[in-house]
Parts: sequence; structure tokens; C-alpha cells
Amino acid sequence: MDGKVKEQKQKQHQQKHSGPKAERKKLKKHGGPTEEDARKRNPKAFAVQSAVRMAKTFHRSQDMKTKKHHIPLVDRTPLEPPPIVIVVVGPPKVGKSTLIRCLIKNFTRQKLGDICGPVTIVSGKKRRLTFMECNNDINTMIDLAKVADLVLMLIDASFGFEMETFEFLNICQVHGFPRIMGVLTHLDSFKNNKVLRKTKKNLKHRFWTEVYQGAKLFYLSGMVYGEYQLQEVKNLGRFISVMKFRPLVWQTSHPYVLVDRMEDLTDPELVRTDPKCDRTVSLYGYLRGTHLKNKGQVHIPGVGDFQVADVNFLPDPCALPDAQKKRALNEKERLLYAPMAGVGGVVYDKDAVYIDLPASHVNQQQEEMRPTTELVQSLIDTHATLDAKMAASKVSLFSGSATLEPEDIGEQSGEKEGLQEESVWDPNTQRERRKVVFTTEDEEDVSGSSDDEDGDSEDSDQEDQGEDDGEKNLSTFLKEARAKCVETTKTGAGAPPVKRPKLEERKGESAEVPAFADSEDDLEVSEDEEESGGEEEAGRAGDSGHCSEEDEEESDDGEEESEGESGEDDVAADAAMKEKIASEEEEEEEEEEEEEEVEEEEGGLKWKEGLQQKASDAFLRQQQAAPNLRKRVYGSVVEVDDSEDEEQELGGLFRVSRPQNSKKFQANAVDSSRFSPDASHNWELEEMLNSIRDCFVTGKWDESQDAATLLKEDEEMYGDFEDLETGEVHKDHTGQKDPAEQNSENDDDDDDQEESVVKVDDKEAMKNKRLEKKQRLKERFDSEYDDGDATYFDDLKEEMQKQAELNRAEFEDVDDETRVQYEGFRPGMYVRLEIPSLPCEFVTNFDPHYPIILGGLGSSEGNVGYLQMRLKKHRWYHRILKTRDPLILSLGWRRFQTMPLYHIEDHNGRHRLLKYTPQHMHCGASIWGPVTPQGTGFLAVQTVAGVKANFRIAATGVVLDLDKSVTVVKKLKLIGYPEKIFKNTSFIKGMFNTVLEVAKFEGASVRTVSGVRGQIKKALSTPAGAFRATFEDRLLMSDVVFLRSWFPVTIPQLYNPVTSLLLPVGQKDSWAGMRTLGQLKHDLGIRNKPNADSLYKPVVRAQRHFNRLQIPKELQKALPFKSKPKQLQPKGKTPRDLQRPSVIREPHEKKVAALLHALSTVHNYNRKKAHTLQHAKHKQFLQEKGKQEEAKLQRQKEARKKLYRAMGQADQKNQRSSLKGAPKDD
Amino acid sequence: MASQGLAYDGCNFFRQRLVLSTLSGKRVKISNIRSKDDNPGLRDFEASFIRLLDKVTNGSKIEINQTGTVLFYMPGLLHGGSVEHDCNMQRSVGYYLEALLMLAPFMKTSLKATLRGVTNDHTDPTIDMLKSTALPLMKKFGIDGEGFDLKVVKRGMAPGGGGEVFFSCPVRRTIRPVQLTDPGKIKRIRGVAYSVRVSPQMANRIVDSTRSVLNQFIPDIYIYTDHMKGANSGKSPGFGLTLVAETLNGSFLSAEMSSTPQGQGDPMLPEDLGRNCAKLLLEEVHRGGCVDSSNQSLTLLLMTLGQQDVSKVLLGPLSPYTIEFLRHIKDFFQIMFKIEVQKPSEDKRKGGDKVLMTCVGVGYSNINKTLK
Repeated sequence: MDGKVKEQKQKQHQQKHSGPKAERKKLKKHGGPTEEDARKRNPKAFAVQSAVRMAKTFHRSQDMKTKKHHIPLVDRTPLEPPPIVIVVVGPPKVGKSTLIRCLIKNFTRQKLGDICGPVTIVSGKKRRLTFMECNNDINTMIDLAKVADLVLMLIDASFGFEMETFEFLNICQVHGFPRIMGVLTHLDSFKNNKVLRKTKKNLKHRFWTEVYQGAKLFYLSGMVYGEYQLQEVKNLGRFISVMKFRPLVWQTSHPYVLVDRMEDLTDPELVRTDPKCDRTVSLYGYLRGTHLKNKGQVHIPGVGDFQVADVNFLPDPCALPDAQKKRALNEKERLLYAPMAGVGGVVYDKDAVYIDLPASHVNQQQEEMRPTTELVQSLIDTHATLDAKMAASKVSLFSGSATLEPEDIGEQSGEKEGLQEESVWDPNTQRERRKVVFTTEDEEDVSGSSDDEDGDSEDSDQEDQGEDDGEKNLSTFLKEARAKCVETTKTGAGAPPVKRPKLEERKGESAEVPAFADSEDDLEVSEDEEESGGEEEAGRAGDSGHCSEEDEEESDDGEEESEGESGEDDVAADAAMKEKIASEEEEEEEEEEEEEEVEEEEGGLKWKEGLQQKASDAFLRQQQAAPNLRKRVYGSVVEVDDSEDEEQELGGLFRVSRPQNSKKFQANAVDSSRFSPDASHNWELEEMLNSIRDCFVTGKWDESQDAATLLKEDEEMYGDFEDLETGEVHKDHTGQKDPAEQNSENDDDDDDQEESVVKVDDKEAMKNKRLEKKQRLKERFDSEYDDGDATYFDDLKEEMQKQAELNRAEFEDVDDETRVQYEGFRPGMYVRLEIPSLPCEFVTNFDPHYPIILGGLGSSEGNVGYLQMRLKKHRWYHRILKTRDPLILSLGWRRFQTMPLYHIEDHNGRHRLLKYTPQHMHCGASIWGPVTPQGTGFLAVQTVAGVKANFRIAATGVVLDLDKSVTVVKKLKLIGYPEKIFKNTSFIKGMFNTVLEVAKFEGASVRTVSGVRGQIKKALSTPAGAFRATFEDRLLMSDVVFLRSWFPVTIPQLYNPVTSLLLPVGQKDSWAGMRTLGQLKHDLGIRNKPNADSLYKPVVRAQRHFNRLQIPKELQKALPFKSKPKQLQPKGKTPRDLQRPSVIREPHEKKVAALLHALSTVHNYNRKKAHTLQHAKHKQFLQEKGKQEEAKLQRQKEARKKLYRAMGQADQKNQRSSLKGAPKDD
Repeated sequence: MASQGLAYDGCNFFRQRLVLSTLSGKRVKISNIRSKDDNPGLRDFEASFIRLLDKVTNGSKIEINQTGTVLFYMPGLLHGGSVEHDCNMQRSVGYYLEALLMLAPFMKTSLKATLRGVTNDHTDPTIDMLKSTALPLMKKFGIDGEGFDLKVVKRGMAPGGGGEVFFSCPVRRTIRPVQLTDPGKIKRIRGVAYSVRVSPQMANRIVDSTRSVLNQFIPDIYIYTDHMKGANSGKSPGFGLTLVAETLNGSFLSAEMSSTPQGQGDPMLPEDLGRNCAKLLLEEVHRGGCVDSSNQSLTLLLMTLGQQDVSKVLLGPLSPYTIEFLRHIKDFFQIMFKIEVQKPSEDKRKGGDKVLMTCVGVGYSNINKTLK
């Protein structure tokens, strides 16, 4: 087959050299104009033929245009976007790993063995790709569909579509549709070319109906030496590297990380003593989606919800190449980063790292992929050696300084975390206990662990580099640490007094004095105040330092304590001040030095370049831009944050808020937003009044806005003009002509002639001015001209564009450390997240083939509540779903099991419970689950364990509403029976059990089965629960009375996250949660006993007997005869007197009678005969008469005809004669 | 599953904490509320505030210990709808309304609140002020349209109260980012001089004295006199003035003053009140910015709850209340503002320092609003 492809060479295009076509082309080449103004040449052809048709075409074109519009979104993609996640999906044995391997080889020229975990590569100058293989487990499919940017959907063409493909497509549809590209493999198994073509076409069209018409389907024709054909892979690679993506709603509104590296930071000793202890784990990966805030909440699908202890960004391990002119990447820039797959000889196995360097390949390998290995190596080193190193450095460095604040908790907190997890949360006791723990066990850690938090990444990196360089770098580290420590001391001591309420004074000073001096002043002032003001104040300031907790707890004797502490604190503050002043001058220099060194060390690593410049810039800027205000609001940026970390951790569940000290002094003050006026401003004084003159329209305006200047400019711009009324010509003052008429050079000449002495500078200035004016004119013209065209859509788009530009520009020149504070970590950064208290199974059962995703949660998405959603059973799922049967939902980042109640909305807005989902209709579903924004799609499966033969997705839907209470009601009929029947009143029993129940339902309407309506009146005393009710008619004893009511149903509060990642390796797809009722019965072999009443029995019907109808005599009398009951009784004997005697004839009489009878018979016969005869005669006569009449008419007609003809002729003659006479008269 | 909780001390900034907790869904525990006071625990007006919060939310859990010194608040979802609340007389309606302004756009159904109590007093921003400054401010954030209204039905002065205010606000799913960096020049000054249960002449006297101060800056001044009578006049006598300066770019600066409550302190002359209030307005102008000092926190909150875009606003010097609010925003939303001080140049006479606040919104979307 391959041979065939090569043989079929395309026929070359043959150009015509003669003939009409060639001539036309020639003409076109030479005389262009003939073609271009066809409109002019042949106007009729372009004339409007039909107005209706024109309107139609216009409408159509407009429709097409507007259809193309998407709602404009603010483009929030970062300048350096994270790698694109390409998920390769398909049923087993379809060639997923082979394809990934081929693509990686295509892009990086490297071969990978086993594809474990995400593989990140640099594919082009502006694009990186992360490949991830998706196995056949539905958990993995769901998770990866949520993070995929592009899906390569592999289809075995020799087999056709498999269910996995459709399942994945449906998952994608629910969670926002990423780009999907189909890839057909196993095409070489077709021997017949025609069959192949047909199969391709069929598959393509089916794929199109699923994705969209015209979706790209790629064909991989066959394998060569176990790999796909080079050219085809290359083409696929090209497609991938130019593909564009539309942002998906969920992805763009949540930060997420596809973890490509995992490390267990738990204290080994702790693990040894208790192998099941909770672990502290650091996870690495590119941040995608949106900005990630530190200390946020994340969800790890398959594990659960966690609080991030710490986030920091690391140098990009797979950085994009520098901006260069050349088109292709060189060998060094084709980076590959896949720590889980063991690239660069690093293999991650559960909880250990193996560095595998085959001796023979050492040199070669290092040369081949130098940047990669270097980076990976450095990253590995970071944590393999850092613990020990940090511990050592801590002791040696900070033992001297007393009031250091712990800063780099990043590393240490991990170790401590384990300790913390042990204690059960209890707000009062826990804090104190913690305190003790810290002092006894880890005193050094608390006091000495100080390193800049956000500097951490830099530091650690520096250290990594430093490993090679040895002592030189150690010294650097020391220096830096010292600098940092100095900073912290400054802020640590400086912060409390800064937060005092002396707003006005502080501000006044900050306006004049440069930043650093200012802060000193602050310190002095505040200190003075402290001393003079009294011990109380000092105590408050000091509280924040270390013993806020104690103070809170022991509020009774807090006064004394705080006094004591205040003394200490003052001393500490003094010491800190001295240190600070001494070190301040050095600080800046040192920092710069460090950075230079850092750069030297890093050498070729690009991610650092420019950073230093930025950092120094930012530093200077910060110095200038009054850091006081910021410091006063947030405390000093980073350091204080860290000090609070400790406190927060102490709290465990509750976080102790940061500005403790400032709060202390006004903890119970009046809560008012009023801002009392500045006492120093005396608004009687003239100078004070003058200071705000320009705030009013009557004041002085800016140059650019002043009406007078603007007028003057306008005058200049429009130059001379003629007043048409007076005929007066106004000349431009400067003597310039309208710039539109003459070019600048001419103008210059004119000026030269008019003004003899013009300096060169002036000329230049004039030129500039003119240019400026031209520009302005052009702008004005543009704005006027474009104004009409701009639609709402254009305006909206422009607005979004502006916002996007602002977003980009705002923090562009801020260094990353600070920027992270404002924005959070931006997508595209390589981040390291530290997560405490992960279950140990996460580490022990770690399998890199399963994706680990860290999905960031919004502000209240960590809470649980009731969700109302719209749900539809999937049309391919062959069973309907039962209310209260557990269902596994994939919603937001989460997968969880819950028990939904299905309901439907009645016309009056009531949510009526359904026992089952409708077959082909949407219905409502209410669950107890995690709060997720409305409009989020979800899908439901009944089980995630194993692969069933049929379609696994049971239902899909969307979240409609969130609430803390839900009103789903169920119809409830209460049944009662009449006990006693009066006229329309009856006593009903059996419906209720007590008088109280009846009382609750007084006034409720009831009904009988036969449709007689009634109302509950009052409870009866004797049979408990019986009541009196009135009806519109009399009841029968056989009637059944029922009361229809609605009973609110409670939703079962089951929220059970699917913890599939915690299962042992190899069993991760066998998570089984709560079973459905049907499954349970099946498993336990329970069969339902049918209701005896529901069983079918032969129907025995008694013969009905009807009584006679009795009508009262009175009524009978009144009835009309028709309606009177007839006397239907048989006739009785006639009485004798009424009986007539029978007549017996004599023989003579008999004879007479017989004769008479015979005679009359004869007579009758004769009469009849005569009558018929007469009748026939008359008929004949009538016929005769008719004929005569006809003849008579005929005759008359002819006579009349004759007469008329004569008359006509006479008339004609008359007329003719008159006509003859007439011309003579004329 | 439990989202983190926050713990605070003391009753100060009580509203901020509860409001932010409600919006962010994080629970909060406030302990040591006036624990050392002679009269420990929550005051009546705070309890009333909690009750109001309970009315507008669904499913919130509030636990207060026996002495009232510890409050645990687990927020529910904002429900809205028609709410009637009798505010405590210790604080004015403004105290409650300020919180409602922050919460109202994020409810499930649009809020229609009727608040009764003291409409004008010393400690809190009055209704007139909120009406003239906070409402136009919220309009800039896209909270606008049908039924966005604040009405003074009855006016009630401290200490008797008896006022009634109707506030209605539509619901929004998202908040627009704003760029308010140029306040523009003040083009006019408007005001309301109100008086209840005193001579109607008082208002006129206030107007005259106010104009005497402000006329040296701008001629376009109009101060309405609002004298309420009968049932609409509440239970206590009093008078006061609210001044609003409107700039060319549509930002509003305001100042206000009301007479001392009956039987508390020295009575005040209307002329003095007018003059002092005018000076307060000048002070406010001196502070400047696009938002006046009492609405700073509202602005910052709406910026925080915007889309994930950059918002900028120019403020006057930050009030202590705002500073604390910023800290709370950091606690609840992990948002830090970029704070840049803009010093006025020498030749320009435009008041004191300005502060340019910049932030990136959290991308908050109203999770309470029902999707149809």
C-alpha cells in the first residue's frame, strides 16, 4: 500500500500557451483596468433587478455576519501561556502510546519508553505541549476531559467506533468542549482500496455528526518499524502547533494544575513510626486557567478537598526559547520535561527518586540534552538536599539575631505539618498545646526559620546552582540570608507601631520625607508615644509579636502579662532598629550583588534574564512610592505574612487574622465608616481655601483641558477662514497654511521666506507641531467618520480589548515576587504547591499513569449545600434512574456519589417528586453536594468500577440553583371512611389518629372517590381522630373519603467523594461506593414480596338484584298520562254483566250472508276493472292533447319568425335610406 | 470539605466581618466581644444587625454564647426578597444600610428592604448621603436599572427615631471592573437641608450660612429644604444638612452634619451647622478622589468582587475603617491592593495626597442567582 501511495504521482499542471484562455490571461497581465471596472463597463449587469431579492440577499449576508459573532470575552491569556494539554484518548490497543512517542520524537528528536504522566515539550517558538495519555478508566476520562485543551481521539479504523470514544465525547460536551481531532489508525489492515475509502468516509461522517461538520479527522495509514509514518506524524504535528483554542468557561474561571511531579515531604521518622500517618506532599506543575491565590482551597479529583499550605513559583523547567530572528528551534531549545516518565535518568517510583545513568551513555546524554538534564538535576537537588542544608544554615545564621521572623516555612512547615495533624481540633486547648510543642520540640525552627517566602524559589534555585560552585555560593547565600533577616527584623519591629491609629501625622510626614527615613521617623514617633503614652499601648503593640494567643486565652490576667511583654518588646524593637539602620545602606547593594551572582551562576538559563533588571527597577520604585501606606495596610508584605503562618497553623481550623496588633487597640471601638476630619485643617484660612481652588470648574484647568488653550489650538488647526456673511477673511496668526494642502517641506520654505531669521531648532519645533496637528486632524476625522459604522458589538469588543490591554500592562513592570502578591500566581508559571494532611494512600498507591489534577476552588465552592439541577437521562443509557438511588456525579472538578431526588415542576411552580426519571424528557434533580456556580454542566454515571458492555453515562444536565433548603413535595392521600351519615354532614373516621391532627387540617377540602367534595369541620371527641365534615351531597356508607396533601421530602445528605486515586495500583478503576437498591437486592438475593392486593385473582361478581320502583300515589296522580305508570297487570276475568252473549246464526241466515259476501266480491272486482280501463283511456287522451299543443306552438313560432324578418328588413331599409340622405345633407 | 474559618477578636468592624463572611462563604468566629467591659457582650444594635442578616440569608447558622462575648457565624446563601426590619435606635439606619448595599447585588431575588428607625444621626452616614453618593457609585459598577432605589419615607431623628427607609436593588451576576482615575472638577454642589419637628425656618437658615462659605468656590449651588410634617416627621425634633459635590466625570463627594440629639449635649445653631458642614465638604474636597471617604470600603469591595480584570480607583487618604477593610479583604478573598500614593504637584491646588488603588478582581459570580 505504501508503494502505491508513492507511485501515484500527481499530474503536473499544464499551462496553456495559446487559445482564448491564454490570451485572456495575457490581457489580464498587461491591461489590468479592463477587468477591474466591469461594474463601470457593464452597469446593467450590476443594476438592481429586484428590490425584494436584494433585500433578501442583504438580510442573508447580515445574518451570516452576525452568526459569526461570539460574545466578546476579555482576553486573559498570559503573555507566556502554559503548555497546551493534549490528551490522547482511545480504547485499548489503538496506538495511543505509539502516537505520543512518535509526536515527541517528531518535536524533540528524543525517544521515550514508557509514557508515564504528563510529558511537556517545546514544540515551537511560542508553543509548548503537554501530552497525557488517557486510559480506559472512566475516572481518568472524566478528569482529563476537564483539563484538556486538545483531544486526539484515536479510532481503530479496522474495527470502527467503540463505546469509549462516544463516552469521551459526551464527557467533553458536558464539561466544555475542547478542540477534538480524530485520528484513524490501523488503516493498513484494509487490503481493498475501495473498502478503505468507504470506511474512511463513513467514519468521517459519523465523527462529524458527533463533533461538528468539517471536524478534522486525521489518517495514519500504517506502521513502519513499529512507528507511524514520518511524514504523517509531521503533518499532525504541524496541525497541532498552529491550532487555535477558544477559552472554555470552567477552565478560564478556575486555576488548575496538571501535576507532573510529586514529592513526599513528610518526616521520614514520622512515617517510620506511623506508616499510616497523613502526608505532606508537594506537587509541581504548570499553572493554568486563572490566577491562583496562595492559601486557597483546591480539590484533587480522586482524593478530596485540601487547603494549600504554600505556593511558590519555580523557574520554568521547560522554558520557551528566547525571542530570536531565526525560524526554527535549534537542538538545545527542543526541551523535554517529563519527570514521571523518567526523562534524564530520573525515575519516580511511588515515594522515591531514582537517578538512572547508564555508564556508557553518560557523556553522550549530557551533551544531547544538556539544558534538560541540568534543570531536572537542579530541581531534584532542591529537595533532596535542602532539608539538611536549611537546617544547618538556620542554626549557623540566625542564632545571633533575636527577633527574627520565620520566613521560609515552605520547607519546614511540611515537617511540622505531621505534628499538627495529630492533634484533634479544639479551639481552646489546641492553641496552647501547640505552643508547648513548638517550644519543646522545634524551638529553633520557630525562632530561626527565616527566609523570604517568595524569595524561596529563588533561593532554593540559587542553592541548587550553588552546589556546584561550592563555597562561593554558600557565602552568597549567607549574605542574602543576612539581608533578608535584616529586612525582616526591620519590618517585624516596624510593623506594629506603624499600625497605630495616628493616621494624620504619619501621612503628613510621608508626604515629605523619602521612604526609608520616613519609616524610621515613624518608629521613633511611635516609640516615643509608647513610652510617654503608657504601658497599655506598648503592650498592645507587643502583643502581636508572639503572644497574641496567650492573651486571647487568658484574658483575665492578660493585663499584667502584656505589661511584662511590652518591656521586652520595646527592647527588641530598639535592637531591631539599630540593626536596621546599620544595615539599610548595605542592603540594596547586597541585593544587587546577589542578583548579579545569581545570573552568572545560571548562565544559559533564559528564564532569569531581565528579571534582575525588573527586580531592581521594582525595588527602586517601591522605595520611592511610599511603601509606608502599603506597609501600614498589609503589614510589611511578605514577612509578616509568614509570621502569621505560624499562628494560622496554630489555629488549625481557624486562622488567626494577621493584623492582630492593630486590632487589639481598637478591638471594641465604635464600628463606623465615618472618617473624622483632619484637625489640622483650618478652613477659615485663606491658604487652606486656596489649596483646593482647582478642584472646582472655576479653578485653573490643565494645559490639555483648558478651554482657552483648546480654543487657541482649534484656531491654529483650522487656520484662516472666511466669514461668509461679512466677507471678511481671517488669517491664521502664524501665517501657516492649511497643512492638508501643502506638504511639510513647502511649508518650511514658506516660513523661511516670510520670517527671514528662523533658527534650525525652531524649524524642527515647527515641524513637530505641524505633524502633531496633522495627527490630531486625522484622529478627529477618523472618529467622525467611524462613528456611524461602530455597532454595539464593535464597541463591546473594543471595551474588552482595552480591558485586556490594561490587565496586561498594569503589572507588567512589577517583579514577579510582588506581582504574585497582587494578582496571585498567574497561569503559565511553574508552581510548587505544598499540601498537608494528604491521606497516606495517595503516596503509597501513587501511579503516574493516572493524572493528578489540582483544581482551584472559588470563594464559596468549598461549601456543601443543596443543588437544584436540570437532568436528562442519556438517550443511550438503557434504564431509567430511580429517585434516591445513589449516583456518581462529575460536577466542577469533583466526582462524588450522592442521592438525587428527581422532580418535575407543576404549572403552579410546585416541585413534585418523581419516582423515576422520565424516559425522554428533562426533569429536575435535587442533591446534597458541593456548591458549584449555576450553569455548570455535570454528568452522572451509576458506577465507575470496571467496564460494562454498554454505555456508561447515565445522565447529563446543568446546575440551576443553589440553596440551603429545598422544597420538593410528594403527593400524599389520607383515606377515611364514613362512620355516620346525616344529610350532607358525615362523621369520618380512620383518616387521623388524634384530635390534634384533625385540628391541623380543619378547613381542608376532602373528596370522595365518586367526586363529592367537602370540607373538614371539626374533630369529634369519641373515636380519636374522627371528625365532622360537610359535603355537597349525601354520602353513602360505601364511599371512601380522601384528603389530598403535599408532603415535603427531605433530601438525603450524602456527599461521598470518589477516592479512586487512593486505591492500590492496578485496582484504581474498581472504586465502589454505596450500592443502589437494585444492586443490593441482587447481591443479597432478596426478592420483593408483591403486595397481596396487587395479585391477580379470578373476579367473582354477584348477580345484581333490582327492587321495584315505587311511585307514591300522590305523585302518580300529578304525573301526566305519558309518565304515569301503566297498568301492566294481566287482564282479569270480565265480570258477567260485561260479557256479551255470542250470536249463533240460523242456516237460512247463514246462506244469505254467504250470498251477500259473494256478490260484494264480484261487484268489487268489476269496479276495479272499470277504473283501470278509464285510467288508460285518460292517459291516451292526454298524449293526444300534448301533440296538438306542440304543433300549435310550432306554427305560431314560424309565423312570428316571418313577421320579425319583414320588420327587420323594413328597418334596414329605413336606416339605409337615412344614411344615404345624410352625406348629402352634410 | 469544610472550608476554612477565620477568627477575630473584639466587636470592632463587626459588620465588615459578617458581610465579607457572607459573601465569601467562610465562617467566622468573633470572640472577646467587650469581654472586659462592665456590660459585656453584644449590644442591642449588633444583635439587631445579626437579625437583619438572618432575614436576608437562608440557612445561616449563628451561635452566641451566654454572655454574648463569642459569636460564631456560618453564612448561608443570600436570599433577598421583601424584608422588613426594625432597626435598633442606638445606631441609625445607615449602619444597617451600608451592609445591605454591599450584599444586595448578590442576592437570589432582588432585595426590597424596609428599614425603620433613626434615619439621621451623628455616628453613621445618613440616608441622604448614601442616596446621593453610594447609589451613583454602584451604578458605575453595573448595578443599575429598574428598581434600584433608596427612598426616605419617613424621617426620624435620634434618639426617638420613627423614620422609615425603603431600599430596593436589582440582582447582578457579575460586577463590571471600573477605572476611576480622574475625578474631574466639581461642577455643582447640591444639598438637602432637612428639619423635622422644628421651625421650617431652620432649614433656610442652614442654607444661607452654607452658601456663604461655598459661594467663594462655585456659583452653582442649590440646597433643597426638606421639612417633613406629621406622621412623616418621626418622634424627635432635629435638623441637619447633607451636601454633595458633583464632578464633571460623575463622581460625588459629600459631607453632612446633623443637630445634636435632643437632650444630649449642647444644642446647635443652624447657622453654625451650615458653616461647619460646608467646611466638612471642603475637607472632603481636599481629600478628593473619585469616591468620598465613607464609600471607600464599598468601592473596594465591588472592585474585589469584579471579574478577573484590573480595576483602578483614585481615593483620598484611606480612613482607618477602609484600612481595616482592606485587611479583611485580604483575609477573606486573598486579594491585595496595589496602593500608590499620588502626591499633588506644587503648582496645582487640588488638595492633599491621593491614593490610587489597583486590584485584580477575584472573578466573583453571584452563586445565589437562579438560572432559568
